[in-house]
Amino acid sequence: MSKFKTLMKKREFRTLFFLVGIFIIVGLINSDFLTIGTIQNSLKSSLLYIVLAVGLTVVLLTGNIDISVGGTLGLSAAVSGILLKNGGSIFVSIVVAILIGAIIGLINGLGVTKLKISSFIMTLGMLEITRVIQVIYTDGQWVENLPAGFKQLSQLNVLGFNLLLIIVMAGVIIVHLFLTRSRKGRYFSAIGDNVDGAILLGVPVQRYVTLAGLIFASQVGFISTTAGLGIEMTVIAAAVLGGVSLSGGVGTVLGATIGAVIMISINSALIYMKIPAFWNDAISGVLLITIVVTDAILSRRADKQTKKERLRARVLQEEVSINHAHAK
Amino acid sequence: MLMLSKIPKWNLGLIFVLMLEIIIFGLINPRFWNISILLNSFNDFIGIAIIGFFVTLVMITGGIDISGGSIIGLTSVVIGILSQLIGLNIWISVILAIVAAGLCGLLNGILIAYGRVQAMVVTLGGLLLYSGIAIVLVGVSGVSAYEGISGFPGSFSNLAYGTVFGIPSSIILFIVLFIIAYVLLHFTKYGRYIFLTGINQHASDYAGINTKKVIASTYVLSGLSAGIAGTMLTSYLGSARADFGSEYLMSILTVVVLGGTLITGGKGGIIGTALASIIVGFLQVGMQMGGVSTQYIGLATGLLLIISVALLSISSSAKENMKKLLRPKFMKEGNV
Repeated sequence: MSKFKTLMKKREFRTLFFLVGIFIIVGLINSDFLTIGTIQNSLKSSLLYIVLAVGLTVVLLTGNIDISVGGTLGLSAAVSGILLKNGGSIFVSIVVAILIGAIIGLINGLGVTKLKISSFIMTLGMLEITRVIQVIYTDGQWVENLPAGFKQLSQLNVLGFNLLLIIVMAGVIIVHLFLTRSRKGRYFSAIGDNVDGAILLGVPVQRYVTLAGLIFASQVGFISTTAGLGIEMTVIAAAVLGGVSLSGGVGTVLGATIGAVIMISINSALIYMKIPAFWNDAISGVLLITIVVTDAILSRRADKQTKKERLRARVLQEEVSINHAHAK
Repeated sequence: MLMLSKIPKWNLGLIFVLMLEIIIFGLINPRFWNISILLNSFNDFIGIAIIGFFVTLVMITGGIDISGGSIIGLTSVVIGILSQLIGLNIWISVILAIVAAGLCGLLNGILIAYGRVQAMVVTLGGLLLYSGIAIVLVGVSGVSAYEGISGFPGSFSNLAYGTVFGIPSSIILFIVLFIIAYVLLHFTKYGRYIFLTGINQHASDYAGINTKKVIASTYVLSGLSAGIAGTMLTSYLGSARADFGSEYLMSILTVVVLGGTLITGGKGGIIGTALASIIVGFLQVGMQMGGVSTQYIGLATGLLLIISVALLSISSSAKENMKKLLRPKFMKEGNV
């Protein structure tokens, strides 16, 4: 029982219950929603958001933010897509995509740490710049007709499971272990006020972002000029839903992953509940605000409670020592 | 000379940039020096400027408001539905729409000030929610999302195209809202409370300022200004669509930050925002006139944003370093 209580106290389990709740409620309305196929499908379509949310969590932990993910994603997807189309090998295009992401991440990191630009502003500017470069590079056209071999990458199955799904899940677990178990990983949440640490994070994070770019490209099969547009808001919302604090220091990769799955599940849940798709944004917005506000109120109450307990304990201690003195 | 020394250095820099811009663009295309063309171009960025004025207030309290763009879309759709589908008088629908925009701002403000949730998160939720409501309204009323609602009366389009004493009405609106924001921020008690709240909220609380009310009210103002911007844009473009203003986010923040307002709060001014909005607006107009494809304009604004913030932070850190050098050594040990 006590174990259950400590589990409940963890933010990500509350999120998980919420996710399960969505599935049960929608399942009651339309039982087709609860098939393995649907669940696997929503997991598969949230892969991209999971990867981005995990990357973003690392940045958020340090108290910074990265809203350039959409731009980086679009740019690296476009470049690698064009490489592939012109007969480049899959391996080379993957390396190039990751390199682009790493360079953009390094520029962001340097801007934030060396020039002391607020990370929000820095990455907002970068978002715009990368988007323009992408448009110039692709000449405003869609990158279509990617080789079949690349598209198959997202359809490959190993032991009945989707290969990308396995890779992403393994990645999530590795990052989670890195952040919670290793000394360097724990630095991320400790950084908070140590600005120089941020330079560390720019690079690795963008690697995840570019990984996401590849997943995106291979899933959709074509890259439009608006690829990745508006994605940043969804990803931030996903991380926040998963309990990652925007002021840094609080949150886990697992929570962000669940948050990403929730954001995508809402879309498919709406379809199964026969609600028109134009409700999507309004419902996500309501959910985001409700969850964040209740969470803030809950955590403040918990804070007050612990403070009260601490005060009580101190008063008791003083009484004990006074009694002690009297006894003497 | 006395006048010059009274203007803050940052604003002086902005004026210099603005002059430079006008000269350069004029040399590239002499049409840029045509006053009536320049004045009419205000319609293209009036929304950014109006919202920028009041987001400046929000940012000085230490918050941020990124929901302005989606409130524009919501206002536009509400005006369209009320006046064209329900058949209300156009001006009543405009007022109702602006009230709705104010309510959106009020929701932001209450959640941020009284719920004590981060401004960034709340307005992000608001961004999704308000544009979501706009999309739902369009979807429920069965209007084509692409074409939008059109067919507004001529008196309404006069709002953007009309002139008062020969001056385009968009400029009048720009000046009126500039004066309101300027007086509010720099000449009233309320304005001083805004600054104090941004500098140190706890201290202002203890000093007897109702900081929660101050913070919440800035978001209401910013929401109302987005409503006015939405009305202007609807009048200018002659149709109501849910996705109006969705690309304004970047420009609004650029204008406020380029104007010298600190994103961490406590410092800033309306004059800077006004100058910066004209700079950004003329930049877009000038580049279009110079034959630069519209796609490159984002690149210029993005670079402008980063460079201006870098300059601001470098100049302030350089000042601090000078202070440290001039101060006695023991201060440093105290910090460690």
